[in-house]
Amino acid sequence: MSTSRPTVDGVTGSIGEFVEGRITNSHLALFGLGFVGVFFVLPILLLVPESLAFGTGEPLQAYRRATRGIYVDAFVRSFLYGIVTTAVTLALAYLLSYFMAFGTKRVRLTMTLVIVPLWIAYIVRYFGILLFLSPAGPFADLTGIEPSLLFTTPAVIIGLSNVYLPFAVLPIYNSLNAIDGELISASRVLGASQWRTLAAVVFPLSLPGLVAAGLIVFILAAGSFLGPAVLGGPNQTMIANEIAGAFLNNFNIRFASALAVIYSILLVGALLVFNTVFDLREVLGNI
Amino acid sequence: MLEVRDFTKYYGDLCAVENLSFDIDEGEFVTLLGPSGCGKSTTLHAIAGLVEPTDGQILLRGEDVTDLPPEKRNIGMAFQSTALFPHMTVRENIAFGLKMHGHDSTAVEERVEESLELVDMPDHGDHKPGELSGGQQQRVSLARALAYEPDILLLDEPLTGLDRVLREEMRGWLNRIQKEVGVTTLYVTHDQEDALSMSDTVIVLNDGHSEQIDTPERIYESPASPFVAEFVGKSTRFSGPVTREGDRAVVNNDDKAITVEGTGVEDGDDATLYVRPEDIEVSTTAAGAENEITGRVVNVANLGNRAEVTVELTDGNEALAHTNRFPDIDVGDDVHLRFDPERVIAL
Repeated sequence: MSTSRPTVDGVTGSIGEFVEGRITNSHLALFGLGFVGVFFVLPILLLVPESLAFGTGEPLQAYRRATRGIYVDAFVRSFLYGIVTTAVTLALAYLLSYFMAFGTKRVRLTMTLVIVPLWIAYIVRYFGILLFLSPAGPFADLTGIEPSLLFTTPAVIIGLSNVYLPFAVLPIYNSLNAIDGELISASRVLGASQWRTLAAVVFPLSLPGLVAAGLIVFILAAGSFLGPAVLGGPNQTMIANEIAGAFLNNFNIRFASALAVIYSILLVGALLVFNTVFDLREVLGNI
Repeated sequence: MLEVRDFTKYYGDLCAVENLSFDIDEGEFVTLLGPSGCGKSTTLHAIAGLVEPTDGQILLRGEDVTDLPPEKRNIGMAFQSTALFPHMTVRENIAFGLKMHGHDSTAVEERVEESLELVDMPDHGDHKPGELSGGQQQRVSLARALAYEPDILLLDEPLTGLDRVLREEMRGWLNRIQKEVGVTTLYVTHDQEDALSMSDTVIVLNDGHSEQIDTPERIYESPASPFVAEFVGKSTRFSGPVTREGDRAVVNNDDKAITVEGTGVEDGDDATLYVRPEDIEVSTTAAGAENEITGRVVNVANLGNRAEVTVELTDGNEALAHTNRFPDIDVGDDVHLRFDPERVIAL
């Protein structure tokens, strides 16, 4: 049967023909990249002229203030807390991942228990820790530690490590789980004890996941805002808290921008140093 | 050298191996042959100390090693996956076992180079395993397993991943190395050609127990059970009640009577007979011989050096015969099959 009217097939066919060759996979990437470009790169770049104050007074005035006194402390603290949180989180995540990869058949259950906290808002989790650590809370009752840990550096580290743990477990578990069991058998038969096998075979092979986890946790932890705000005191202020204070409390957009620019430069510098030790391209391939 | 005594392994309620016993002599090449799931790998892993026996004993050089961890057993092992450490070079892989066995660094260096020579790879020491071909990886894996002079070498399907040509080449090579080093070897495979071509002794395993422990020749020529006859080599199968006539027996298989030379079946038994395809002669003309049956050709597979002819018999069963290469026989031809009563395997 022939007909002059376009059939359904004909219509979709001609749309298909129209689309074909015009939209390729690389066009699809433009949507994502465009979104990132418009709402991430441009705003960040805007901070630079904002921080420099062209035409109104001394251009580097905000930078001068941002590199003195309590602000230097805040920068240093951000990096130190970032490093300590990363160390604590990696140690805990490694034990947990090792258990999941080699110690249990209930991998899915354990993984769910690791992931579920991510469904709960950070603010709720930090407030939970706040109540737990408060002078009248269960932690003080159980341990008798006086005075309360609340509003101290350990409290902030506990909170940050707790919140970022799932981000570390995923890459570490992936790299441990990818280790062929026969490699472990081979190591034992070749004469290595369980501990030697862990040190000489399992640990080196899990290193890519460990490094990837460390990178994620460090970046997240060093830029923390809520953790120190809820669990820390005036002596636990991190750089994100200072930026927020300048921006939201004092409406000093220029100063806040200067802090943000300095922090971004320091972070990129740290990544470049990191890149000389571990190949970033390789690390990112393991996330 | 190695004694396995009543080895039994259960996984939960599932029995993998039941009361398996065998001995291996110094320098012997023994193969555990069986289909997947027969317990051969479990047995090998138990000898290595990687699987804990539910029951039974494993003795190495007269010493009971049943409860020793793998690292205390002085065993060399090559795995199907090669199990070379990907983060170490070939040299470091071979050195690993030597170091763990307490050799000092000069001895390690020396032995590594000797081992690389042994497997014909003196120039590959600095490569990572990922840069080598499958066959080269297996050779390194063997060098690593032999470097510290283990009491016994365990090979867990090391040739399975290789293509046919390389596999055949590796068989001969592996045999030469084994004889050269003189190491006692236990080889696990599901491949009967591996087993028959390489071993001094073959242990046929089925469903967790041994069906036969014998030389390759006896395994093929005188299988101890229908399982062995059917698993090792191809054959045509007949069965029926036995009538004994002196030195001979006649088995009545439907419309045919098949004569069997020798003992093994008794009057009134139900016997199963196997005839190997190379023992069956195919002809387009009748000769009126003993054990001559007729059928129609349903397939001719030319294998180069010979042809494999499938014949449908009058009772509907199929028979398999080998002929000279490219025979003058076509599908649909009516043919006569003849075989010597001495060449019939009766069980």
